[in-house]
Amino acid sequence: MANVRIDRLHKEFRSHGGVVHALKELTLDIADGEFISLVGPSGCGKSTALRIIAGLETPTSGRILFGPRDITKLEPRDRNIAMVFQSYALYPHMSVRQNLEYGLRKRGVAREERDRKVATIGAMLQIESMFERKPRQLSGGQRQRVALGRALIRDPEVFLLDEPLSNLDAKLRVHMRAELAALHQKVQTTMVYVTHDQLEAMTLSDRIVVMNHGVMQQVGRPDEIYSRPANRFVAEFIGTPSMNMIEGELRIESGKPIFTGPGMAIALPQASLHMPAAKQATLGVRPEDIALVAPDTPGAIAARVTVSELTGAERYHFVTVGGGSVIIRTPASTVLHPGENVALGLHPDRLHLFGGAGEDAAALR
Amino acid sequence: MLRILRTYGLALLLLTFVAFPLYWMTLTSLKPQTEVFRTPPTFLPATWTLEHYISLFQLTDFGLLFMNSLKVCLLSTVMALAVGILGAYALARFRVRGKEAYGRLVLLAYMFPGALLVIPLLLLFRELGLTNSHLGLSLAYLTFSLPFVMWVMRDFFASVPIDLEEAALIDGATRLGALWDVVLPQAVPGIIATGIFAFLFAWNEYLYALILISDESLRTLPPGMMRFVSSTDTNWGLIMAASTLATLPMALAFGLVQRYLVTGMGAGGVKG
Repeated sequence: MANVRIDRLHKEFRSHGGVVHALKELTLDIADGEFISLVGPSGCGKSTALRIIAGLETPTSGRILFGPRDITKLEPRDRNIAMVFQSYALYPHMSVRQNLEYGLRKRGVAREERDRKVATIGAMLQIESMFERKPRQLSGGQRQRVALGRALIRDPEVFLLDEPLSNLDAKLRVHMRAELAALHQKVQTTMVYVTHDQLEAMTLSDRIVVMNHGVMQQVGRPDEIYSRPANRFVAEFIGTPSMNMIEGELRIESGKPIFTGPGMAIALPQASLHMPAAKQATLGVRPEDIALVAPDTPGAIAARVTVSELTGAERYHFVTVGGGSVIIRTPASTVLHPGENVALGLHPDRLHLFGGAGEDAAALR
Repeated sequence: MLRILRTYGLALLLLTFVAFPLYWMTLTSLKPQTEVFRTPPTFLPATWTLEHYISLFQLTDFGLLFMNSLKVCLLSTVMALAVGILGAYALARFRVRGKEAYGRLVLLAYMFPGALLVIPLLLLFRELGLTNSHLGLSLAYLTFSLPFVMWVMRDFFASVPIDLEEAALIDGATRLGALWDVVLPQAVPGIIATGIFAFLFAWNEYLYALILISDESLRTLPPGMMRFVSSTDTNWGLIMAASTLATLPMALAFGLVQRYLVTGMGAGGVKG
């Protein structure tokens, strides 16, 4: 067990004369026993970061410490880590048992001890009945369990997971997600989890690191990331359907900040507003933070419904506001028809304001 | 129907083309000397005989030639595989400057005609005291079997999922340990195939064997068999008997490993 300190980690790849910065100055402290997720689109550097922690890549600069121990220069085998791969990477020519105990063998663990551990892990993951089978004789979910078992059996200090669920079908994925959460509860080992699936990150993590273009965009608890995105990228990346982004202008009228966009003028809360006036700005509002209101409500925004989708428990309504499109999320009981005129009210406490270019963000709270 | 006929017709034609020399060689070795030259030729011997095989072992040093060949070919195949596998793995996996250029150089070395190399090699080997030595001849054979093994095994290694060895590295294996425990078992079909081809090259090789070995007791089969041809007389029965016996190990080897040459590899380890 160990806390992990990632200190100004930098990674460049050179190819065909060009330099690609896969990871830029990543600094992160991971607490002992914490479940932390790295999320972002493909190519954002999350896998590179994980592979550097694993020792499969060497950083261009920066350090990694497990507790007080600087492991930056150590071989993977000397780091006391375990990793679950997206492809599972089970050794095809070995039985499940041999797969599970390979790491123990390599570390010279005695036979009785190995048998005992294999039995324990087998019982924990319910794979005892398939010990003598080869990986190709297992289903996707079973392979996944064996891969988890092979990592768990070693009692690693740090557990690395590289998109472990993305090869499973949707139903199994939800199931294994819950199992993974339960597993973390049980073993209490530090886990670093890489995924492009924000839902996995939200449900499993103690904290989430959102990355883009090799740069850490925000780190925080799932609820912080969701309700207080640090910038436009995070706001749009997290949440399904994603946050509505309305381009407009920020003005100060008689000392009060007003956002004007297509078909709307919204009085913003006074608090913590550091943006210069008369500036290009983007207003972000989550689909569930838009309410349907009576047309005569002060400040109501006129909109027209174009499409309504029922997803089961909820409905997504696509409406046009002043030429732009906005998504609203409501309970399934709220029925709207295409062509219908509605009035929208925005929850003033749940608006997000971003700079025009989307770089810096002043999230209004 | 027509298509099936055409396919099988073509296959039959090809089979005849490839198999007839083998058939003729075997039959000639089983005909008495007088029948070998009969016109019109007999397609099945009128009289079956083992006389050529008997005289092969009684009158010539065929046994010695065969054992010499076997020794040289096994030695050079083992060396080619040992060095070639490591080299190919490095070419497939490591990020080294100039790796691509080196890979092409290997292919170029393979395409280089052996006849051009033999004299420089002879001079070099004489300096090193490697002429008239089975080790020397085996090393000379590496000039073509090693590039071949490296070139083919590189592709084999490249097709083994890299996740497997990374998993092994994390599980506690060294680079060589991961190669041995995890990568090589996936590459067994490739190793067998390249090993057989490397052996075959050496087994059939004539020029190097003729020039680098002059000691009669060290001779290998191809140049050795040429002594059955003299200026006055060619003993076809003897040559064919020797050729049949020389073909036998390769035919056997191919028969045994055919299965490996076609089976897929690595199925089931990663998501299929």
